[in-house]
Amino acid sequence: MESNPSTPPKIVCFMCNWAFCEEELHVPYNVNIVRVMCIGRMDPTLVLETFANGADGVMLAGCKPPDCHFIDGNLHAERAVKMLKKLLALTGLGANRLELLLTSPIESKDFGSYAKVFSEEIWKLGESPLKKDELASMIRVNVDAAKNAASAFRLRVLLGREEELTEFLNAYGEKIPEEEFDALLDEVVKAEFIRYKIHHLTRANPRSVKELAEAVGIKPSAVLRHITNMRRKGMIALERVEGNTPLYRALEVR
Amino acid sequence: MGESKVGAVLVVGGGVAGIQAALDLADSGFKVYLADQSPSIGGVMAQLDKTFPTNDCSMCILAPKLVAAGRHPNITLITNSEVVGLNGEAGNFEVKIRKRSRYINEDKCNGCGLCAQKCPVEAIDTYNKGLTDRSAVYVEFPQAVPLRFKIDREKCIGCRTCQEVCKANAVEYYQKDSEVILNVGSIILAPGFEPFDARLKSEYGYGRYQNVVTSIEFERILSASGPYGGIVLRPSDGEIPRKIAFVQCVGSRDAQLGNNYCSAACCMYSIKEAIIAKEHVPTKLECTIFYMDIRAYGKEFDAYYKRAKEEYGIQFVRSRVASITEDQSTGNLFVHYVGEDETPRIEEFDMIILSTGMQPPKDVEKLAKVLGIKLNKYRFCETGAFTPLETSKPGIYVCGAFSSPKDIPESVAQASAAASKAMAIIAPERGKLVTVKEAPPEIDVGQEEPRIGVFICHCGINIGGIVRVPEVVEYAKKLPNVVYAEDNLYTCSDDTQKRIREKIKEHNLNRVVVASCTPRTHEPLFRETVREAGLNPYLFEMANIRDQCSWVHMHEPEEATEKAKDLVRSVVAKARLLKPLKNPTVKVTPVGLVIGGGVSGMTAALELANQGFEVHLVEREKELGGHLKKIYYVLEGEDPQEYLRRLVKAVMEHERIHVYLGASVVEVNGFVGNFKSKILHNGEEKQVEHGIVIVATGATEYKPKEYLYGEDTRVLTQHELEEKLAEGKFNAKKVVMIQCVGARNEERPNCARICCGQAIKNALKIKELNPDADVYVLYKDVRSYGFKEEYYREAAAKGVLFISYSDEKKPKVTNESGKLKLAFWEPVLKQEIQMEPDIVVLSAATIPNPDNKRIAEMLKVPLTKDGFFLEAHMKLRPVDFQTDGVFLCGMAHSPKFIEESISQACAAAARAATILSKKELEMEGIVANVDEDLCSGCRICEYLCPYGAIEMKEKDGKLVAHVIEALCKGCGVCGTACPTKAIILGHFTTEEILAQVRAVLKEMEAIAA
Amino acid sequence: MSSQKEFEPKIVGFLCNWCSYAGADLAGVSRIQYPPNIRIIRVMCSGRIDPAFILEALKNGADGVLVAGCHLPSDCHYISGNFKALRRVTLLKKVLEEFGIEPERVRLEWVSASEGDKFAAVVRDMVEQIKKLGPNPLKMEAKQT
Repeated sequence: MESNPSTPPKIVCFMCNWAFCEEELHVPYNVNIVRVMCIGRMDPTLVLETFANGADGVMLAGCKPPDCHFIDGNLHAERAVKMLKKLLALTGLGANRLELLLTSPIESKDFGSYAKVFSEEIWKLGESPLKKDELASMIRVNVDAAKNAASAFRLRVLLGREEELTEFLNAYGEKIPEEEFDALLDEVVKAEFIRYKIHHLTRANPRSVKELAEAVGIKPSAVLRHITNMRRKGMIALERVEGNTPLYRALEVR
Repeated sequence: MGESKVGAVLVVGGGVAGIQAALDLADSGFKVYLADQSPSIGGVMAQLDKTFPTNDCSMCILAPKLVAAGRHPNITLITNSEVVGLNGEAGNFEVKIRKRSRYINEDKCNGCGLCAQKCPVEAIDTYNKGLTDRSAVYVEFPQAVPLRFKIDREKCIGCRTCQEVCKANAVEYYQKDSEVILNVGSIILAPGFEPFDARLKSEYGYGRYQNVVTSIEFERILSASGPYGGIVLRPSDGEIPRKIAFVQCVGSRDAQLGNNYCSAACCMYSIKEAIIAKEHVPTKLECTIFYMDIRAYGKEFDAYYKRAKEEYGIQFVRSRVASITEDQSTGNLFVHYVGEDETPRIEEFDMIILSTGMQPPKDVEKLAKVLGIKLNKYRFCETGAFTPLETSKPGIYVCGAFSSPKDIPESVAQASAAASKAMAIIAPERGKLVTVKEAPPEIDVGQEEPRIGVFICHCGINIGGIVRVPEVVEYAKKLPNVVYAEDNLYTCSDDTQKRIREKIKEHNLNRVVVASCTPRTHEPLFRETVREAGLNPYLFEMANIRDQCSWVHMHEPEEATEKAKDLVRSVVAKARLLKPLKNPTVKVTPVGLVIGGGVSGMTAALELANQGFEVHLVEREKELGGHLKKIYYVLEGEDPQEYLRRLVKAVMEHERIHVYLGASVVEVNGFVGNFKSKILHNGEEKQVEHGIVIVATGATEYKPKEYLYGEDTRVLTQHELEEKLAEGKFNAKKVVMIQCVGARNEERPNCARICCGQAIKNALKIKELNPDADVYVLYKDVRSYGFKEEYYREAAAKGVLFISYSDEKKPKVTNESGKLKLAFWEPVLKQEIQMEPDIVVLSAATIPNPDNKRIAEMLKVPLTKDGFFLEAHMKLRPVDFQTDGVFLCGMAHSPKFIEESISQACAAAARAATILSKKELEMEGIVANVDEDLCSGCRICEYLCPYGAIEMKEKDGKLVAHVIEALCKGCGVCGTACPTKAIILGHFTTEEILAQVRAVLKEMEAIAA
Repeated sequence: MSSQKEFEPKIVGFLCNWCSYAGADLAGVSRIQYPPNIRIIRVMCSGRIDPAFILEALKNGADGVLVAGCHLPSDCHYISGNFKALRRVTLLKKVLEEFGIEPERVRLEWVSASEGDKFAAVVRDMVEQIKKLGPNPLKMEAKQT
């Protein structure tokens, strides 16, 4: 069965159509390659979906700058992976289960050996916690929340604009330092992840601030603040009050 | 008079005071610039949940004023601005104003809010006091005026998202700060106050303990539009508290901090917050207020305080809280205090509210420096005891909390008062810089089939939280002649007004129905809106689904929704029959009648005269002065008698003031703009014509029945003591003063306001004459509010002993074989003390003028239960009566100190000027009409009309009734009595009312058929 | 007749703009709760209330009619409209009796702008009273015919 740790991990590799030639793709049988036209066009939610479907590791393979067939797709990929790693860390799957490999399409190289190394590393990490019974349900919620966060307008805007804002000039003719932007991204990733997690947790049954704090692993005061913002955005509403405890329920987000 | 004067005024500060001043000036023919630092007007009042003592929803009563100021053709709003330079002098100033960039083009932005929805960056929401977040592009609150977004430059990352989504192309990242130079004749300062920074009282743990919040934060917590949706929650864990405490005087009455003044409003707002909290919490909530003195000194405040104690069970503990500590595991808090029995106590609470005091606004030194005005030692604006509105620089006036901490009605009264001062110095320039509002020509809808548009308001969650508004909208769409219906978050907001106008055009609407709050407050706004869209204003009707539905059926959403449908159906049925009406106009006699020649009446008369109007001033006694004649000292040191002499002289010598002494007004006829009254003077009746009436009948000192007064000459009132002190006839060595004599009791439940100040004043005078004299003051609460606190402290420092007593243990005064004896309970020593004072001074209540009743009936204006005159609205119309053209001021309103009477008198004059300054007034169009063909000439209506508005005229050889429109008040009594049904009352026709009756009782199918 | 639900009377209230309508607003502002059985129609003055309005309400199935105006003697914004209302309603009640309609179904009250609690109390009391009286007899007749 799949739960046997002695079997090799399931790895999915999204690969740029232009990065390797057929001869270079001698990969272990546990690595499944999915061809895409450019690695920079990979939607982050697709990566999370892959994890949700049971992948133990995900690799993104593309071209090294400046050789992208689509000019700067690889740079987009770098940013997307940075954000995805932040989200993966929050889900409990761990940032290391995702790897970005950028190589030059004009040099010859052996993709198989790269894949083998990554596969070994994932093997060491063990199989995806989503398959372990005791944690699976919570991590599934986390992965769902991460998926929602990754598809949220707010994060997509930031991701889409990162280059423009950090490499070139923003609307005020200023350049935002990389670290500053990264800190903002960190904050937004965390906030969106937590809010969607709260949203998932309150879908079936209404919950209190304290219950949510325990489930999310942050302070009740922080949960309350997220709830105020979620109310403003129409994501959640007060369902009823039990004793002195208000219980909140998710609203379907349009 | 070298320089010419300018008929424009700059008002600095757009809180409720600034708005009121601006409206009064603009309505009196002056151009107004209203400048505020914030992106929108409204000030602190816009953040409040409810207001005391009526518990009116703050935003509900403020919003119409915001909208009125925003849409007034003579008011220009200059938001995001600060004053940076001043040249010139009174009558002709040149002010330089820096306008900080919004990064949004104000002319292009339509307030749609798409930018805020899409903005990826969150920032701390300062309107909600940091309890939640907002986006980096924002408006402060949904009803903001102007409804224009602003970019928070600190937080914005310049991602250009808002620019891309903005359909109006209003985003301008490169917009620079700009400077404007304004030419104005006078300036009014109304920058308000800043709440005390509670972090400075570190022993209370604010900023460290999450469940310690400030009073303004708590207002937001209570507010239905606040971060918690109106349920009280603990910030630490989101639980509803079971037990909360209010700690008074945080940052006030605190010598250590140097804030040795009382912030004047905190006692009342804390009582209000406690009452509202109890109402907002579904479970049981215990509220305790820790206080030093409860200063419920305003009109009807004590009755409110009493209700809080008796009806709501709020606990009051007299103690200054020493410190607050936290139980880290629960977030609960421990209040450490010394009980009334002098023993230290610790009590646990779930949440604590710090009643933070008022401080001068930030950057006030900068403003003072730019304008060249002096600040007092607390950095509030310096004013004089008899010149409460003047700053140290001529032509610059002050109002509201910037001159001293004060509540809303006093700020509003002062605002009108400052407007009076500001317009007086530029009176000849009236009307020169204003624009006349041109409404588009009226569309003739006479023969058209009714096409009704229905707008249904959620009022935030006030309606929408109970009534299922979308369902009512769908229902309305199916009603006969309704061609359009929609719901709005706030139908009263600026953007919805625009929307209504657009929808009228888009759907060719010829009748409009709004279902929201009460027509009593909002009908004028909507009428104006439909008029601006080219419809006659009377083609509008309102259904009251908030005050008379959602608010009174809060636990029956089903029934409330059905009732809302019934009410909408009923009003739509009326709307189908509405006819356009014309507003008659009447000429205004630019003359004032002032009843009462005390300080208030004289001030009001002088203000009106200085503005260029003629005034008749009627005083019952043989000389002017009233109550002020008996006042020889004031706490602030100025000489009231000298002031009185100057005032009397100015009044007597003014060419436009006609003074009638020993006279009384015996008859008042007519109506706003056109009164005809009879003055009985020297045995003769003189008829005068005037446009307005100001009631300034004052009040009198209560003659006590208590404490041997009248039986023993050693028992005096404060006035009698003051007279003795002034005449040098005082030589007592042991004096006991007893407060609240004839006030705060069963018969007169309210506080007489001025007696604490009087007692302190006279006690200080005694100490000045004889430092060794013993002075005791037996009090219930020492109510030395505002800067008067300083004198309380001074008296205590000079050895005046203040000892509290309660109703259960009142002091006893006896005469034992010629010896005056006094016994009182000493609460600290817990024993009765006996003494033999030389004199006992009673702080007797100030009671209404006995003549009030007659005057009230003559003018058709109401009195309070206590017998003072009752204004139109306790919060926002403090000197108006509900009856147009009649105003009140001074002690006729309620007991007051001199400076407060002066402020109110000036306010009444300013309000009166909004009428007297107009050549003609537009009247309500709801008047009776006679169908001359039907009229049988029976004269029943002529006999019944209480206003004499019906006269008989000959027409085609028969007598028919004729309505004098200017006199008709639109009551409809005549029409109801007319045997031939020849009289129709516009807007309330028999057909209209019957249609309403039928519709409200019938289900839909029946009326659709 | 078949419904088992408790009889919920429908009451029409004619309120003068200046006192009683304001009093009803105050009940709202003070959140004083009362039964949702009343539908208010605003008129400028209680003296404007034509007996025909009351009869029309009863004819159309109202189980009760409330007429509310400013306190006697001198609160009326229009000087004496309330006296006229008093006379008309008193007279009407006599007529109603002859028609077999309980005069208690029509009630005249004085409610000032500061009496939100009184307004709520009047409605509460009236609903109770009319529940005891049962549905408007005219409605029953209409159903039978």
